[in-house]
Amino acid sequence: MILAVAVSLFSWPLPGYSAATWQWLSSLKGPPFGQSMRMPSALYCDRNLERYYVVDAGNNRLLSFNKDGEFLNEFNANGQLHAPFDMVKDCEGHIWLIEKGGNSLTMIDLENKAVENHSLSFNGQTVFPERLEQEDDILYVLDKTTGQVLALDMDLKVIRNFACRDGTGFVDFKIRNGSLWAMERDGKMVCFTMDGKPVSSVVLEDVVRFPYSLEVGPSGIFYVLDRHGGDVAVFDREGRFRYRFLTPGQAGGRLYFPIELKFDLWGRLCVVEEGNGRVEIFKR
Amino acid sequence: MSPREGQMMSKLIWLSLGLIVVLCVGQAATGFAETTCFQCHKRTDFRGKVVHQPVAEDQCSACHSPHVAHFKGLLQKSGASFCYGCHKEQAAIFAQGIVHQPVRQGQCLTCHDAHASEAKGLLRGHLAESCFACHKTLPSKFKHTHKPYAKGDCLACHQPHQSGNIQLLKSKPDELCLSCHKSDKVRQVHRNFPREARDCLSCHNPHGSNRKAMVRNVLHKPYKKGCTECHGQGRISAETCLRCHETIKKEVRALHSHLLEQEGCSCTACHSPHAGDTASLLKGSRKQICRSCHKDTFNNYQDKLYIHTGSFDCKECHAVHGSSHLAMLKDGGNKTCSRCHETQGKFTHPIGEKVLDPRSGQIVTCVSCHNPMGTDFRYNLKMSGTKDLCIQCHRTY
Repeated sequence: MILAVAVSLFSWPLPGYSAATWQWLSSLKGPPFGQSMRMPSALYCDRNLERYYVVDAGNNRLLSFNKDGEFLNEFNANGQLHAPFDMVKDCEGHIWLIEKGGNSLTMIDLENKAVENHSLSFNGQTVFPERLEQEDDILYVLDKTTGQVLALDMDLKVIRNFACRDGTGFVDFKIRNGSLWAMERDGKMVCFTMDGKPVSSVVLEDVVRFPYSLEVGPSGIFYVLDRHGGDVAVFDREGRFRYRFLTPGQAGGRLYFPIELKFDLWGRLCVVEEGNGRVEIFKR
Repeated sequence: MSPREGQMMSKLIWLSLGLIVVLCVGQAATGFAETTCFQCHKRTDFRGKVVHQPVAEDQCSACHSPHVAHFKGLLQKSGASFCYGCHKEQAAIFAQGIVHQPVRQGQCLTCHDAHASEAKGLLRGHLAESCFACHKTLPSKFKHTHKPYAKGDCLACHQPHQSGNIQLLKSKPDELCLSCHKSDKVRQVHRNFPREARDCLSCHNPHGSNRKAMVRNVLHKPYKKGCTECHGQGRISAETCLRCHETIKKEVRALHSHLLEQEGCSCTACHSPHAGDTASLLKGSRKQICRSCHKDTFNNYQDKLYIHTGSFDCKECHAVHGSSHLAMLKDGGNKTCSRCHETQGKFTHPIGEKVLDPRSGQIVTCVSCHNPMGTDFRYNLKMSGTKDLCIQCHRTY
């Protein structure tokens, strides 16, 4: 009985700061003898090749790394990229890239060395793509002007949308555990079925200065990246604040203008840092 | 002693005792202050229609130490925390939502008199005088002035301490307007509106203007021509605005832009599509507009010991529509600063493309060491400049 009580007390982290939960593992930086990353904006994990891809937005290029964080290659489509911001790879190995400079969803066919720029529109209005995910041959694009997520088939036709009911719009989204989770500017989480129906929403405790990116753990725990606070806040499924970890700064393991939070294929938590020009990887 | 004399003596004793009791009670009621403080301090200086309770009870020592004190005015403590010692409920309430700057800074005495006043709430002078003492840029009157403003009744619309609404309004702007301006009448005067008139502050200045009905002074050019310039051509969005505003179109195609994730038009989050007080048709002062989303930045700025005092116009350093620099700075961490700090741009700790920060491998810029948005260290340094900051990079020293 005493043991059960003790286990239940200590198995759940108490609210507040906690440094012990996640430990720094490695950093993804630029090429060892080349130009450092400048304002990286997104991370993509390739399941087939077991690689990381980092969008090095400030240098208009993509960088690849192996599972251990060793630099592999860089790619800039012969200088054709203009402010790339987010990327995914489809089942055929094509790279889909959001290019802010041309307001384009760009398809890169590496085999045929082809680059196709696509302007998107929905309901007669230009779409300004902000974030990108891919699942089962469907591309999911967050439109910055409306704050809704659009699901596109491979012909780039909008087949459904995931919109906020009260019109405040989403700042980030992730597809996790068979659902699409989207986060509003004030930190409210909305869960949609994959056919676009909102099924639940969770209002997070107001402890994050500037919520910017979200992750959802396998057990439904929310991780919220605080861009201004330079840390990660963790909430339970009811939105109650549990603990926060990491601190702002420029030294290793610290965050300066972090921009994206993502679990990699191996359950490690990755933080893309615009300010420090690197991706920090943490393990439990 | 005869019985009669005995009775007389007994009465005298009781009378004397009574007098002693009355004198003692009187002394206790008037307190120490009656006999001591007011021997030097004129009692008349502490009189008014409204008197602070401790003053009314001559409890000077509730706030002041008669002999020595660490604080000016021989106060036992300073700042709001002292006031909150009695006004306990206010401490929690005044920490919520958007907080008036003097309240946030614990400067209760900016608006209130600690002893006595002729005005309700122990205000210093007339309410409007207190407000205009800080809000100096507000004109005292307009060609067409809102009645409560003309009367100096700022509290008709604003909360003095804190509020959950922008500009410390008592409720949401439209709700507040409609609480006096009945909706039937509003509908009558907005007959040609395709839907119910809302977002009053988008066109009207709530204090006053040179135009009838307090319509803001500068009109958007298409609005002057007629509604159909923008309306009736499909759904209105940022694209509607960008059709004319070509330069902004380029600016929002940067890595970071203020195209806001919201239903409708992003541009109208900050700009009025119809009328404004200045050519930029902003919906309020720039600070107010920025603060409506960046509350955390403003709160952090106000709480810090050392802040960038030269200018507090966000647009001086930030590209407000879009930028491919960190923090949406205009020109990155060096050029943005050296536009004003010319000397530092030429003679300083090595900075620029060839100098890399050993902590991150990034180019060293002014903002590698300084945080103009406020820090607790001199010169807006991120850490103490005597040692802590330097050894971040210069580890062998």
